[in-house]
Amino acid sequence: MNQIYHVSSSPHVRSRLQTGPVMYNVIISLLPATLVGIWRFGVRAGIIVFLSILAAVASEAICCKIMKKELTIKDGSAVVTGLLLALCLSPLVPFYIPVLGAVFAIVVVKCMFGGLGKNFINPALAARCFLLISFSGTMTAYGVDGVSSATPLEVLKGGGAVNVTQMFLGTSTGVIGCSALALLIGGLYLWISGGITWEIPASMIGAFGIFMILFGGQGLDGKFLLAHLCGGGILMGAFFMATDPVTSPVSSTGQLLYGAIAGVLSGLFRVNGSAADSVSYAIIITNLVTPMIDQFIVPKPFAYRKKEGESFFSLAAIAPALVLTLITLIAGVALSGVFGLTKDTIEEQERAAQAAAYKEVVTGAEEIVDWEEGKAAVEALEGAVYGSDFGRVYINDAYKGVDASGNTVGYVISVTTADGFDGKITLAVGIAADGTVNGISFTELNETAGMGMRADEPEWKGQFAGKNVERFELMKGGGSTEDSQIDSISGASITSGAVVNAVNAALDFYAANGGAAAADAAA
Amino acid sequence: MARRTFRGGVHPADKKALSRDAAFRRYEPGGLLVFPLGQHIGRPATAVVKKGDRVLAGQIIGEASGFISANIISSCSGTVKAVEKHRTVMGVMAESVIISNDGQYEKMPGIGEKVDYTTLDGKEIVQKVKDAGIVGLGGAGFPTNVKLSPKNPDGIRYVIANGAECEPYITCDDQLMRTHADEIVTGMKVMMRLFPNAKGVVVIEDNKPEAIAAMQKACETESDISVKVVPIKYPQGGEREIISVVAGIDIKASQLPADAGCIVDNVATIYAIYQAVCESTPLMEKAVTISGEAVAEPSNLIVPIGTLVSELFDAAGGAKEGTVPVKVLSGGPMMGVALATTEVPLQKNNNAFTFLEEDEVAAAEKQQTACIRCARCVHVCPLGLNPQMMAVAAERKDYERYEKVLYGLECISCGTCTFTCPAKRPLMQLFKEARNDIMAAKAVKRAEEAAAAAALEKEAAQKRQEEIDAAVAAALRVREPGKNLARASEAEQRLAAQSEAVNNVDEKVEASVKTAIKEAEADLASNAKTTLGNKVTDAVRADVADTSSEEKSVKAIGKEDAK
Repeated sequence: MNQIYHVSSSPHVRSRLQTGPVMYNVIISLLPATLVGIWRFGVRAGIIVFLSILAAVASEAICCKIMKKELTIKDGSAVVTGLLLALCLSPLVPFYIPVLGAVFAIVVVKCMFGGLGKNFINPALAARCFLLISFSGTMTAYGVDGVSSATPLEVLKGGGAVNVTQMFLGTSTGVIGCSALALLIGGLYLWISGGITWEIPASMIGAFGIFMILFGGQGLDGKFLLAHLCGGGILMGAFFMATDPVTSPVSSTGQLLYGAIAGVLSGLFRVNGSAADSVSYAIIITNLVTPMIDQFIVPKPFAYRKKEGESFFSLAAIAPALVLTLITLIAGVALSGVFGLTKDTIEEQERAAQAAAYKEVVTGAEEIVDWEEGKAAVEALEGAVYGSDFGRVYINDAYKGVDASGNTVGYVISVTTADGFDGKITLAVGIAADGTVNGISFTELNETAGMGMRADEPEWKGQFAGKNVERFELMKGGGSTEDSQIDSISGASITSGAVVNAVNAALDFYAANGGAAAADAAA
Repeated sequence: MARRTFRGGVHPADKKALSRDAAFRRYEPGGLLVFPLGQHIGRPATAVVKKGDRVLAGQIIGEASGFISANIISSCSGTVKAVEKHRTVMGVMAESVIISNDGQYEKMPGIGEKVDYTTLDGKEIVQKVKDAGIVGLGGAGFPTNVKLSPKNPDGIRYVIANGAECEPYITCDDQLMRTHADEIVTGMKVMMRLFPNAKGVVVIEDNKPEAIAAMQKACETESDISVKVVPIKYPQGGEREIISVVAGIDIKASQLPADAGCIVDNVATIYAIYQAVCESTPLMEKAVTISGEAVAEPSNLIVPIGTLVSELFDAAGGAKEGTVPVKVLSGGPMMGVALATTEVPLQKNNNAFTFLEEDEVAAAEKQQTACIRCARCVHVCPLGLNPQMMAVAAERKDYERYEKVLYGLECISCGTCTFTCPAKRPLMQLFKEARNDIMAAKAVKRAEEAAAAAALEKEAAQKRQEEIDAAVAAALRVREPGKNLARASEAEQRLAAQSEAVNNVDEKVEASVKTAIKEAEADLASNAKTTLGNKVTDAVRADVADTSSEEKSVKAIGKEDAK
């Protein structure tokens, strides 16, 4: 027996657990939410999920190849990233959105920082934030079967009532993975199977709940709190995003603190910021705090704890983290204070600007007053997309202009289209009693400077004025000859098309709501 | 105060079914037996036999050298073939006594004599344990007589017999408790004579029902010895875990079990104490488990210490048909040491050899991914450490953080974190490296400090010499003969006292330098560190030489002065 045997450091046995199965377990836990999403939103949602995962895996493979690293797609982390991203997208997004997002998540956030375990923020969330910033209109257009509608949280923010049961089951509007029940089932499974610990979800949901009770403005209103807990990705964030081990602290105390920060920030952003996207930003910011938490909150070994049951940390160890939390809170409170102070002024200014815009499009109007019939018709629409051939167009409001002696001189219809190149465009369409367009005026236009923004130039928007047609038609190549033809802004046909559709919708609305009768009466 | 279990821990497949019901077999080797002189923690023993000497079984062939050391006992009769370096289970070449066994096992006279331990006082018991060369047989190898001599014997509240045997594969303690329960209980009673306020507790994991029944039966008549059954979980057998469970106290790495009022010994050690005290039999043979998937007949053997592992493998039927052992462990798979070769002898502190046909570590290396910070290691660490952060610090060689902030030196190397890690990170290896580096740096620091201390002492000696010179001069200046004489004798007395002081200083310096050199030489891995160590020792040696020459001159002056 002069054989030489293998030598290595102990231990010589290893558990069966591997990184791959750990990730597959996360995928399993996300299946309920995915399936409910596909069931609710149809094949389109399935395609988005598929594309997102495919793009994530493919870009990781390519990255590994280019960086001359070992192929790491087998560990399943790219699949998890792709799936998580898809579940956070609206089912209405164009197919390039999940692809772009997944590529961003894997290439920029993950691989460029060293791959698995090295990313400093959650790749899926980072990609979502990237998409939100880059394609805000597209990303925030929610709906079912191609029909847009506001998400429950948008309704809630606007002071409306929501159906909590629908939100819980996932049959309302929202992202693909919006079923609270399915997320809860998945989260519970993940916890029981040891994929996550209770600390982060518990402290995040707890802190968020407390924040909403204190600052949500509705106190202990059960329905209000439930709606906020079921919607807007709090559950998705608490169970699947914030718990991403790579970007969350390792110690139990650290996790509790981390969850609390994420919860408070989510609440803060939701109350004072954009309703739907608060959680994404909150978790991303909390991710950045993780290294600091890990640096300072180090559990003491058992023998170093002074007495039985003493907690994992001493005050000195958590002081920096406490200070940090305090700073966050103070900054938040200060921000909301400033917001509160300036809110009224801003709103007044906006109203004044609006009134000016409305007057501008009604020739000879001395005052803008409510148009009762029109308003009733707007309410009857219930915030749904107007008509079927104007794209995602919403009728906001209807007014009429009166002259000094109180005679109606024209009508103003405020229209919003979500089909702009960079999000929503809102405009006021002034229509004379006989249906002639007096002019249009933009109250919300955030298109590309030098391209879409040129819609606001008199040369272009002047094309609509003084024309009495049933429908306008966009000439992409220019060269309009007839009244109904509108030249496209060169290089901004999407913006031009959206505006033309919006004007057409306004004309249609006017015609449908007694426009002709009004014209007769005027005559 | 007692707890049901400790926090953390894991459940590796225990694999004990392979050998758990294999009754003890005695195996007597032929040929050569090898006795490394360092089979314990502390200084190696000094060989007291030489080539050609005839030795008997039970004869002391290596004598303990120093307080923390242990005797080495021959386990066979025969002739000393050589006293030379031989490879040990730790993989190093170490000074060993090699005896060619005559197969007679002729014993030293007096061995086997029955002694009533109640007639012995504490000192005699400890002496017998010391003579028998008993060390912790569970693996650590700490000299038992030292363990039995805590500072405050009255403060000991528990004598704990560790029968947890939480390492996979190993079953010899199980068998020992099944077959020698009464002896173990008597051994505990012997120990408890030393500790008047102690209760005896036998801790056994609940996967050994037969051993539990046997031990319970043996303690039936004992009012102050009980059996504590603990749930199966690795590393329940760890000293600090067992103290946590029995006494409800967590101790630091720097503390001794005695600080928690506990004396913990493996059941095999306690059996050895029983044999040494009650049957006048020194530690010559011990129970070992030979198991593993690559062994034909997984066995529990009673074997003379010094038997080569290759022979033990053959005694267990050799390789199982269709298998080839690729990895051989002394001990179990969680904390055992992998052997490169089986041509090494069984030591006192080995309780098993495990022959594996698969190298899971090699397989794990292929599955290794980056750390995903899942914190599973944090949750299973029985000491409440944070292996994830420790690994990061160790990789960066940020030893300051590793030791001071993360308490890295508290690690008991149980391997629980490494076992659990889904990313298959080599955590344990990193921690061992870190510990070695930190210890080496500390040794260098100690040597430097010793040198600095020596320099200080030298300065003090110089000062004293000046004082003596002044005294002598003063004495010479005085004219009156009577007074002069008195002063001279006074000076002489002071001189004698000073010389003694200088002598003491010399001894101290020499001793500290010696230990410093030894530790530095042993610990320093790299040449650079060795060079530094040498420089330091050279400096110290020069200083010592200086001091002693100065002392001589002081003496000469003193004598002259007296005249």
